Amino acid sequence: MINFGYSINKPRVIDIDRNNLHKSNEILREMPELQACIGCGSCTATCTAGNLTSFNFRKVHTLVRRGEYQGAYEEMNKCMLCGKCRLVCPRGINTRGVVMLIKRKLGDF
Amino acid sequence: MSFYADFCIPFIAGATVMFAAIALKYVTWLKRLPKSDLMLIAKGIPTPRTAGAVWEIFRESLLHRRIFRVNPLLGYMHMSLAFGWFLLIVVGWTETVAYLGMRWVPLQGHVFFKYFMPMNGIEGHKPFFDFVMDLLLLFVLSGVALAWFKRFRSRSMGMKRTTKHVLFDRVALTALWFVFPARLVAESITCGLYGGGSFLTGGIGAGLAAAVPPEALAMAYEPAWWFYSCALGVFFVAMPFSRYMHIFTEIPLIFLRHYSLRPEAKEKSYDNFEIQACSRCGICIDPCQLQSQLGINDVQSVYFLRDRRYAMLQQKIANNCLMCGRCEAVCPVGINLNTLRLNSRSTMRNIPNERRYNYLAGLDRSQGEGRVGYFAGCMTLLTPKTLAAMQRIFEAAREDVWWADKDGGVCCGRPLKLSGEVDSAQKMIDYNKELFRRHGITTLVTSCPICLRVFREEYGLQGVEVLHHSEYILRLMHRGRLSVKYSAATFTYHDPCELGRGSGIYDEPRAVIEAVGHLTEPAHTREDALCCGSSVANTAINDAQQLRIAEGVAQELDATDAETVVTACPLCKKAIMRGTARRVADLSEIVAENLGR
Repeated sequence: MINFGYSINKPRVIDIDRNNLHKSNEILREMPELQACIGCGSCTATCTAGNLTSFNFRKVHTLVRRGEYQGAYEEMNKCMLCGKCRLVCPRGINTRGVVMLIKRKLGDF
Repeated sequence: MSFYADFCIPFIAGATVMFAAIALKYVTWLKRLPKSDLMLIAKGIPTPRTAGAVWEIFRESLLHRRIFRVNPLLGYMHMSLAFGWFLLIVVGWTETVAYLGMRWVPLQGHVFFKYFMPMNGIEGHKPFFDFVMDLLLLFVLSGVALAWFKRFRSRSMGMKRTTKHVLFDRVALTALWFVFPARLVAESITCGLYGGGSFLTGGIGAGLAAAVPPEALAMAYEPAWWFYSCALGVFFVAMPFSRYMHIFTEIPLIFLRHYSLRPEAKEKSYDNFEIQACSRCGICIDPCQLQSQLGINDVQSVYFLRDRRYAMLQQKIANNCLMCGRCEAVCPVGINLNTLRLNSRSTMRNIPNERRYNYLAGLDRSQGEGRVGYFAGCMTLLTPKTLAAMQRIFEAAREDVWWADKDGGVCCGRPLKLSGEVDSAQKMIDYNKELFRRHGITTLVTSCPICLRVFREEYGLQGVEVLHHSEYILRLMHRGRLSVKYSAATFTYHDPCELGRGSGIYDEPRAVIEAVGHLTEPAHTREDALCCGSSVANTAINDAQQLRIAEGVAQELDATDAETVVTACPLCKKAIMRGTARRVADLSEIVAENLGR
């Protein structure tokens, strides 16, 4: 094959029909208030860990809800659980509870 | 004289099971203690601490002084049962010795002495003992009567709510209720048939003898003793597996505590002594705001300890606690409830991960130079007014400050630790410790009581004095480096849990407030202060529930009618602000506003 010096990216679409939503559904069943998230990103803007790394809480929990679990546990492990996100969340979501729940469902405890 | 009758069998069997079970427990727990704890015990035994422990056992296990402080009637109930029963045993033993001399008498011979030694026709009858034993029985019976009364009118004994008991507790409780009335009946019938007894058993016995034909009384004689023996036997069998295990566990616990054994962030064998010393009295239920404000009925310390003891603890129960320490403050046994809750969480969640927080390596965003370091803490960074006020105070006092985390730092580690991830929290602790050391500070000031607590308890900062900003500001004022104007403004103060009960700092913030204006206290204050509800220790309750707790606290603060609500914790400030229309300010703000020249 001729090498053109560039390639085609893998499709970045999230296909909810093909993703396994079992864990995601479990998470939402235990923490239904997560569905109230409006994706404003206040949690990420104020995040202590996000200030030091590329950790993005909004991104991680949004991906998890869509069934994209790859790397989510490792990302969540960057969280220091300081709780600033919970104080700024305009929907009053128990974000610390979300972190612990996602880690419990996707990780090893 | 033979000290055996068939009716003694339930008693003997019960006592054997009880002593065997207790001995097995003690041996297992002590054997599993870590070496350091065993060393503490070995070092402590030949010191005055042992005498101190004996004295405390007398005060607390028998007299129940701390329960008297909760409610005198409740205290009397516990004292009459514990101290009364103890005296019955001691005086009963003395009575046996007085009649029979120093000879060996089996256990049932002491307990059922009236049966084996009816008073008719014996030489040297000693009515003194009859009188004392009757008096003591009456003393205990008054406690039993109060216990019955408490079942349906607990409020009149200072308890709005009492514990919901499990089956073993109910069996033991029922048996215990019957023990002393059964003894009264058995001894009264004996006195009716054979004489003896004093005002109580003798009196009832004489009444029975007059009212009932002697044949009928003789027929009831054996069954009455059988019933008494059965009640004792059932109680003894149920005891090691029920809440009554506290009777014998509290005694070694007090000794171990005097030898400086304490529970730690990870579970260890010593915890067993604390857990099984819980009598499930339920005094911890009423102070719990999850109960009083939210009606959550199954997470309080009494239920947590029960579930943990029977190995049926669920994560959601362990997690649902504010760790405000209000229950710990009133616990009559002095159990370290918060630490036990913490190490349960640790057992359930702590997954050591070596690579976690590797991103902290080499990080340093601090600014400024100075021997005094200021660690705002995550929550203070969310209350910029506090941060600005601290800056003004530092400037007014001409203090050179090293700002540890003004531009975002690393969390102190306590929130993660409180959630149970003890090993991971250590990484943050190590990071911050190294940061403080590298900048050579001698004083570390923080305006967040959560950080303060972990700095003092876990960091082990040698050569660095750790101060809460309330202590620091007061010190500046005392040394004349900071002067404030007194005005007619009125303030009320909310004690943050981590600052008050957690670190014992009550007077410093009050002294600072009184220097700038008039201070009025809310209904619950100091050791008894309420929690704002936003505690980082709780990851189970939702926002609406947090708000309800905050509103309850705000209501009390509003009732003082002070112009400004002052607190000394950024998290408390944020929580209370949601519950009141009144101005809520951090201690540093009111100082910065009233700086004198």
